[in-house]
Amino acid sequence: MSRPKVAFFDFTCCEGCQIEFTNYGDVAFLELLKHVDVVEFREAMSEKTTDPIDIALVEGSFTREADRAKLESVRERAKIVIAYGQCATTAGINALKNHQNDYKEFVYGDDAGQANLASQKALPISAAIKVDYMAYGCPVNKYEVLQIIAHLLHGKEPVIPNYPVCVECKRRETVCRYDEADHCMGQVARAGCTAPCPAEGIPCEACRGFVDQPNIRALEKVLVERAGFSQKRAAEKALMFTANSLEATQ
Amino acid sequence: MTASFIKNSDFAAFLTAMMKAAPVYGPVAKRSRFAFARLEAPEELRLDYDVTILPPKKLFFPPAQDLLRFDSDGFEAALEPEEKILFGVHFYDVKAIDQTDLLFAERNCDINYIAHRQTTTIVASNVQTVSKRAFFATVGADVPAKGHDAALTSIDDGYVFEPLTARGEALLKFGRFAPATEAQCRGADKVNADVLAECPEKLEHGTAAIATKVRAAFKDEELWSQLAADCFSCGSCNTVCPTCYCFDVQDTWHVDQTSGKRTRYWDACLTEDFAKISLGEGATENFRDERGERFRHRLMRKAVYLNPKLGGPACVGCGRCSAACTADIADPTRIINQIMAS
Ligand code: SF4
Ligand code: SF4
Ligand code: SF4
Ligand code: SF4
Ligand code: SF4
Repeated sequence: MSRPKVAFFDFTCCEGCQIEFTNYGDVAFLELLKHVDVVEFREAMSEKTTDPIDIALVEGSFTREADRAKLESVRERAKIVIAYGQCATTAGINALKNHQNDYKEFVYGDDAGQANLASQKALPISAAIKVDYMAYGCPVNKYEVLQIIAHLLHGKEPVIPNYPVCVECKRRETVCRYDEADHCMGQVARAGCTAPCPAEGIPCEACRGFVDQPNIRALEKVLVERAGFSQKRAAEKALMFTANSLEATQ
Repeated sequence: MTASFIKNSDFAAFLTAMMKAAPVYGPVAKRSRFAFARLEAPEELRLDYDVTILPPKKLFFPPAQDLLRFDSDGFEAALEPEEKILFGVHFYDVKAIDQTDLLFAERNCDINYIAHRQTTTIVASNVQTVSKRAFFATVGADVPAKGHDAALTSIDDGYVFEPLTARGEALLKFGRFAPATEAQCRGADKVNADVLAECPEKLEHGTAAIATKVRAAFKDEELWSQLAADCFSCGSCNTVCPTCYCFDVQDTWHVDQTSGKRTRYWDACLTEDFAKISLGEGATENFRDERGERFRHRLMRKAVYLNPKLGGPACVGCGRCSAACTADIADPTRIINQIMAS
């Protein structure tokens, strides 16, 4: 693929993953622009396009039926659609609301009744359109994004890990959180981030979602037996970034 | 070669002199655990360590190792071996290094391992603290620890240092050594023999009996799926194992899209996609799709398959897998003793 047209689109999200794309540093970013033609990217330019595009990076969750048409038009125009960031791949943090009913009052207070705040269940964009590749993470790992793009430029399948964070955590010889009377979800979390959190002494919260076949039952057992969680806390622990995938596994 | 003795009071000076001559890697504290790392000061060395998180094999076979660099003109090897001293290796890890030495050298010799190995002088040290899950006394008990250059044993007021190769002997010049007395040598032998009784875990049977019965259990699918019921397929039991040697190779491009590098990473057969292969035209197959199959594969590799080649099991009883498995189902003694008792 030579100098593909790349466009960003955002739905329900914080746009932090798009900001990550501007964080490569001037030299690398300008070099990258020699290889991709960014035609729509509202974080950094005002131009917009209705032309066909090669790679669409779609950020954010699908939370309003009204967005379906816009997503479909992106799909129609794009050769490749990449779900960009955790809101897009699994609905990420947005999906937390799928398990609450008072979130609107809690978040918006007196304004909770405004019509524009109405939304449906938070879903990954794959609930509305076909997605070709996933760039996981809250936020995305910008170096992984660069490799996904590089693989596509070279006509190769991007390599996206389907092994747990423990693999990367052990490779860097981090002391396991469970050896320090803490908890962790690295055993079910999808790797690809290089396991920075346990290395800093912080449990992995599975911000890239789960591996394809997470052993959630075993996770709950380990959280109860080794980390001293109550059964309820153990069962709810995995909700933060992975509420939808958790439902799918049960 | 005859053994020498160095007093505790001369030991730091010995280390310092060695460190001036070459980088010295030894066990150091890492939060609540230990890890092999380059010594910056002699007092960092913790010969009282129980077991390190990762085995010392990481110095020859790093978790991520660049194999080559490429650009539009071609490629070049990334290999840059350094002369170094690996100091304070427990005998079970010496045995494991001896195994990987053989496995990486046979047939298609792996220069990326061998070059690092050949530039390393290995000094073993006695086990001063036994880790909570160790069973090194009862696994492959008749397999000798060999391949190292010298052995160091802490006795009352100093260390007995036994050079085993010319490289080991060359280290004598860095310290104030005296010939070890017969009593000191006997003391060292006793220290190394006594520690074997301290292992908290043990195998109840010998290598051959275990290999026969574990192999016979191959088809017992229910057994393996029960054993693996809590398995996360996280691969930690592989990644911490001193005798595991599988790797995956990936290319990364630099942002210019013409230059880049080829890197190999430790792989782990317990992970879901380890045995996923291409059938061509986009089709794939995973020939160890079930957790139980993957769990069984590791045990077969450790207790059965490699025995003829290695002359003993591909497990040295370090207990790292037992401790690293958060579900606590990886302990080879529990699995093997259960099978043997059935
Ligand atoms: S700290 Fe977490 S990610 Fe690391 S090995 Fe332990 S459980 Fe796995
Ligand atoms: S370690 Fe876990 S929480 Fe941290 S970046 Fe990786 S996946 Fe996210
Ligand atoms: S046996 Fe334990 S360490 Fe090994 S893959 Fe399963 S859960 Fe991970
Ligand atoms: S299988 Fe476990 S006990 Fe045996 S050598 Fe490997 S990590 Fe150590
Ligand atoms: S097949 Fe599995 S057990 Fe054997 S060396 Fe490879 S990763 Fe280790």
